[in-house]
Amino acid sequence: MNKRVEKTTEWLDERLGIAKGGRSSLNKIFPDHWSFMLGEIALYSFIVLLFTGVFLTLFYVPSTQQIIYHGSYAPLRGQSMSEAYASTLHISFSVRAGLVMRQMHHWAANIFIAAIVVHLCRVFFTGSFRKPREINWIIGSILLILAIVNGFIGYSLPDDLISGTGIRIAFSIVESVPLVGSYLAFFLFGGNYPGNAIIPRFYTIHVLLVPALIVGLLAAHLGIMYHQKHTQYPAPKRTNKNVVGTVFWPTYALEAGGFFFITAAVIAALGGLVQINPIWLYGPYVPYKVSYAVQPDWYMGWLDGALRLMPSWEVVGFGHMIPNVFFPAVLLPGLTFTALSLWPFIEKKITKDDEVHNLCDRPRDNPWRTSLGVGILTFYIVLFFASSTDVLANTFNTSLNLVLWTFRVLLIALPPVAGYVTYMLTKETEVVEEAGSRRPPVVITRSLDGEYHSVPVAGDEAGGVVKEEFEPMEVPEEKEYESFMGGVASEHRDKDLVGVGESSSKGGGSAFHDEIGPSRSGGSGIFRVPRNLPGSGGLFGGRGSRRQRRRGGQDRQ
Amino acid sequence: MKVSLRSLNSSKARALGISALLSTAVGFAGMLAFGGSSAAAQQATQQTSVKEAKSVTFTQANAPAIVYKNPPSSLIPEGRTLFIENCSTCHGIDAGGSSRAPNLQGLGAATIDFWVYTGRMPLEDPTVQAVQKPRKFTRQQTLAIAAYVSSLAPGGPGIPSVNVTGANISQGQSLFSTNCAACHTITGVGDALANNVYAPSLYGVGATQIAEAVRTGPGNMPRFGNGTLSNAQVADIVKYVLYLQRPQDPGGLALGHVGPVTEGFVGILIGLGGLMLFGYWVGGRAQR
Repeated sequence: MNKRVEKTTEWLDERLGIAKGGRSSLNKIFPDHWSFMLGEIALYSFIVLLFTGVFLTLFYVPSTQQIIYHGSYAPLRGQSMSEAYASTLHISFSVRAGLVMRQMHHWAANIFIAAIVVHLCRVFFTGSFRKPREINWIIGSILLILAIVNGFIGYSLPDDLISGTGIRIAFSIVESVPLVGSYLAFFLFGGNYPGNAIIPRFYTIHVLLVPALIVGLLAAHLGIMYHQKHTQYPAPKRTNKNVVGTVFWPTYALEAGGFFFITAAVIAALGGLVQINPIWLYGPYVPYKVSYAVQPDWYMGWLDGALRLMPSWEVVGFGHMIPNVFFPAVLLPGLTFTALSLWPFIEKKITKDDEVHNLCDRPRDNPWRTSLGVGILTFYIVLFFASSTDVLANTFNTSLNLVLWTFRVLLIALPPVAGYVTYMLTKETEVVEEAGSRRPPVVITRSLDGEYHSVPVAGDEAGGVVKEEFEPMEVPEEKEYESFMGGVASEHRDKDLVGVGESSSKGGGSAFHDEIGPSRSGGSGIFRVPRNLPGSGGLFGGRGSRRQRRRGGQDRQ
Repeated sequence: MKVSLRSLNSSKARALGISALLSTAVGFAGMLAFGGSSAAAQQATQQTSVKEAKSVTFTQANAPAIVYKNPPSSLIPEGRTLFIENCSTCHGIDAGGSSRAPNLQGLGAATIDFWVYTGRMPLEDPTVQAVQKPRKFTRQQTLAIAAYVSSLAPGGPGIPSVNVTGANISQGQSLFSTNCAACHTITGVGDALANNVYAPSLYGVGATQIAEAVRTGPGNMPRFGNGTLSNAQVADIVKYVLYLQRPQDPGGLALGHVGPVTEGFVGILIGLGGLMLFGYWVGGRAQR
């Protein structure tokens, strides 16, 4: 290692004691699987959102003050519009790189929420929300809600004709809450619609309140994941009490860092090459104007779809009519997010399963949860597609009513069908013991009476591997690892096993001996450690004498 | 350190290198593209303002925004023949209508010109909304039919010729968003409205046809008469609709101007889908 780096870290350690925590963090083991990258996409697009968002705040004016536009976009020149809309036009046409930043911000938001949803599906279908991860599941659900809310508010900030219509719909939805609706709406909008307060308020919520909440909860989300250690898929030698994967530094850190750049690159490519939300074509928002075919961004699609599919029933109770939009736009999301956040407890109630689970379920191995999940997901996917009824009808030259009714029928019919098909498929693909293992070769003989006998081939009783035919490929060994890991292990064993993860592993000490060492099947950089052993190899690994010196220093303090 | 770094396998090292390169390249390309386009846009707007100034000085004041003219009466005999051959089966020889088709007398030349010249007439299927299709008659033949029908009874507007150079595009945008966007959508792509009824796309429609549609209200479209929109206002709208057909459109691929539906499609399938493929490449696989 570089002398200077060594000196700096030592300097820092003598003052902050970074060696202890730093070492265990750098040596942290992360299970490596592509499906664990989905949450990372969300995290990285959030970082892109923060950067591009800061850029946009430098030019955006959160005000509904009406001004006459004299900017560079000719078809709107001389029109009266809000400062918010005028400043968004300014960002799009006159600020250098303003448009690419705006488009990157918008694409990043779309990808952020999409990644959250796919990540959520991964966690759900692998049962990774089970004990001890219920809290993190709830935090994740709240993050999803916050992301959707902030997405909608951000979409509304330009104050263009399309998003203004969205705010109008939001006002009516808030109004539809029985008893308190109109008070709530007036409270939120600072008076009757449209008023002057909503854009500045949305701005504060969008750039301050919700991002702060997201950052805080994200830190908690990752902190809990770090503390509990990531789940892993079942595989030979992976147990509920160990973590097999790549070490944080350098392998995982560089892999994740590279993936951040890939995420940023894809978002930048979309922002630079594909137009999103051309607000200059939409014009300023004026309450009496409306454009047909107003859709929200995709993550609000299921709510828009629910509004479209809801029959025009009028429900009267206790002498009051409950507004029709209350059911699809307030009750549905309310129930959805309540059930979503409480799912770990709902499932526990059904399965009575109170065990600690650090191994993921394979979706096919839990047919009822997988098929139920697919059924529910299908329900929301139908709602999502229903938000584009008009575009579908127009694109395929068919009747809008036909499309609408088709979706109404599909909404009821498709979820059970999808669930049933999934159930059959999971049953079909469930793991069968012995399946896939080679059959022992036998010799079949027929006696004179016509009786058949099958006798295992001589000398092949153990497993019956036909060696000439199936010789597994040689895997190169990583010698360096092995040698220095031995050193760390012998030093760590006593102290760290009684440390952090003690409660979750009884008898972890005895398992330790068997499990340490480079993995046979894994390629480079993959090895196992017991779940409660923070370090084995890495930046400070293999420097026993150095460790002891540090320990001594800490004792002195 | 040296030892651990070697444990990175080559594909991941490649991922890092390529991703860093890719992001830098795209970032720079984006910056350059938008730096360039905003400069071009400014130039374009300067040019249009110069043009507008010119139009004010030269075509100016008393030049009417729209002139309505009936086709010359010399075309009536040709029009009569064409009408009898192609239209009279449904509309009757004197264009008086039948149980299948409406009375055309007194509707004026603009109505006839719109329906025939956009290819909607002769009608393919009377049970559904008339669709725009390749026109059957030349400009001269169309004018001839219009001349014949408008000669049968007085009334209705003549064929408009729109003076768009003097029109105000910003005024047009405002009028368009008030009067037209509620069906044709704000970008003019058109959309499905109700049971088998739709607002057609405004792309590829000429100035005369736009003005005719506004003044005569074909099909389900309302008619905007002189009391609703002045000639100058119609000319403004025409100018904006013509602009919408080739708008100033920075920011890359336009995705059909239908809004968040296609944007969501691209965001999920290409954005997230692409990233998932990258993740699959960078991340590990299940181990057995």
